[in-house]
Amino acid sequence: MEQMPGFTNRSIDPAELPDYRAVPLHQVAPNFGPYAVLVAVLTWLVLALAVLVAPRLPFVDVSLPATSALLPLAAALWFGAVAWLDARRRGWALREHDLIYRSGLIWQKTAILPFARIQHVETAAGPLERIFGLMRVKCFTAGGMGADLSVEGLDREAARKIRQHLLEQIRDPAEAMADGRGEAGE
Amino acid sequence: MRVGEEWQRLSPLALVFLILSGLQRQVRENLFLFAGAGAGAAFTDWLGLRELLLIGLALVLFSVLGAIIYHRRFRFRLEDDALRVRRGLIEHKELRLRFARVQNIQLAQPFYFRPFGLVRFSLQTPGAADKEVELPGIGRELAETMRDRISAARMAPAALVSETVMEAGPDSSEPDLELFAPGPGRLLLHGLSSNQVWVIAGVFFYLLGNFGERFGERLERAAEEALDKGLALDPSGAGWLLVAGAVLGFVLLLFALSGLLALVRFWRFRLRRRDDRLVMVAGLFDRREQTVRDGKITGLTLRQSVVGRLLGCWSLVLRQARSGDHEVGGRGNAVEVPGLSRSDLALADKLVPGAGLPACFEGISPYFRRYAFSRLLLGLLVSLVVFGMLFGFDHWSVLVVACAAALALPAIHLRFRHWGWALCGQVLWLRRGWLGQRIDGFDLARVQQARVTSSPYLRRHQLVGLELLPPQGSVRLPFVAEAVAARLANLALAVAEQARDHRV
Repeated sequence: MEQMPGFTNRSIDPAELPDYRAVPLHQVAPNFGPYAVLVAVLTWLVLALAVLVAPRLPFVDVSLPATSALLPLAAALWFGAVAWLDARRRGWALREHDLIYRSGLIWQKTAILPFARIQHVETAAGPLERIFGLMRVKCFTAGGMGADLSVEGLDREAARKIRQHLLEQIRDPAEAMADGRGEAGE
Repeated sequence: MRVGEEWQRLSPLALVFLILSGLQRQVRENLFLFAGAGAGAAFTDWLGLRELLLIGLALVLFSVLGAIIYHRRFRFRLEDDALRVRRGLIEHKELRLRFARVQNIQLAQPFYFRPFGLVRFSLQTPGAADKEVELPGIGRELAETMRDRISAARMAPAALVSETVMEAGPDSSEPDLELFAPGPGRLLLHGLSSNQVWVIAGVFFYLLGNFGERFGERLERAAEEALDKGLALDPSGAGWLLVAGAVLGFVLLLFALSGLLALVRFWRFRLRRRDDRLVMVAGLFDRREQTVRDGKITGLTLRQSVVGRLLGCWSLVLRQARSGDHEVGGRGNAVEVPGLSRSDLALADKLVPGAGLPACFEGISPYFRRYAFSRLLLGLLVSLVVFGMLFGFDHWSVLVVACAAALALPAIHLRFRHWGWALCGQVLWLRRGWLGQRIDGFDLARVQQARVTSSPYLRRHQLVGLELLPPQGSVRLPFVAEAVAARLANLALAVAEQARDHRV
């Protein structure tokens, strides 16, 4: 680390630090619930269909009782319900310096990503998401695939606003200069 | 015009290196395929020795030809703030690498380059998994000029902030400060304790398995003949002793081989500080010099294997953004400091300021042990029931489950004992392990993201799992009290958000 003019190193009281848990989160778009349920149910329905259809195919030599399709159907119900409840408690928040995203129902996860670490931002929407008017914001960091954060379940308006905000945050002059120097050309 | 600013070519001798490395690569890529798919055995049956030799010759010719063309096409040029390389066999590639992006500079000198004063010059960046640019066979002087210019150029952004750095410059620098120089004994210990032993053993058994299939029949026949002639040993006494002796001898041989390899690889290892850079020199046949800038080091990892624990031998890895972790293949890319003793661990503080190794670590919640053991037991019982329903119950399966549980208990306890964390100023140390151990240390200012995860069990006991992501990859701390995790996450975020200058 370089010594900088005006560099101070005061001790920090952990109790004084802003707590990520105290931040009220925005709920994801109301359309995300139906979308998540549909995706979960469709995935398992395809499997149930495969179980039903596979034994009737002339070139496949398996015999499955029709009741075995109940298993993926039950899974569809279970995961559909989980997806619904998950969508209800999924949330995000922007702080002055970072982005918070909470997801998961049984295994809950809260990710906090400092703006200073974002390399670039991207919005994406699959065909199903477009039908529901949803959009994802993907934030890429330098830590590789594992360190990227994808915020799902935003409506288009919110997603665009967040992207714009993030781009402004990571584009401050000093940073832009450091960026220009830090790029491997071509 | 300064040195190296016109388009340059590689030395003719670089051809030797290109051919050798090309052949080496072909052998490495095809050996396992050849032996693994059993194709090797099939080929030797189909084709005679002469055909095989011809094929081999053709392969050699092919790589020689490839190397010649590659060599002829290769051009490089040093610009003000970048290195430009033109290369390519069939398609021509031109690469421009800015000095600011460079993480590591490596000068290596294989023994056949030594009489001619040539070196292999390579540059590593965070984006590429391997070397981004490699110039095999350029003069040592040119390489050293380039190294100094790249290092100096990399200091420039910092110089914008403080003029003093600029004034100091690379020329008026202090002499190198030697930080660490392990003797041959320590290097040998490093070889004995490194996990390379298991890699060698793995390769050996893999090849043995392949050849065993082929020669097994012949061996059996030989054994039968020996039996007929009454030559076989009495299996009750001397035979077992012989087998035990052979196994012991084999293990000793493996360790000796591993020790020797480490000696060759790290021969006369020297770690020095030169201004804001660390320089490592090592190698017997292929002498390598690696230069790493302080600012590009994102953390440290201290490793100690099981054998290392017995021998009191540690190794230290300088972590960088996305650098590979376990580079046992001896590619020379990992920035590893071998053969540290307990007292040498103070070195950490010299490499990353403020990163003194803590005396004690705070453990994780004992619920980890309870959770792991109860879930394991449950899994074993379920598998016992399922197995029993399918194949019938007997005493043996119960015994096996009981033994597995009895073995798992100390293993889980060891794992629990090793998990720990310690905060020294801004540097967070995380320890984990089982029989060996591994301690990761990094500046919280480097954290890219913090994640807090929880499962129903964890929530019931007010616990969470904490995951922090510095640029070199994620580090996890399971089963910590929610308040502790929140405190660490909040601190990491506060520190990281105030230290905006750390870009990788």
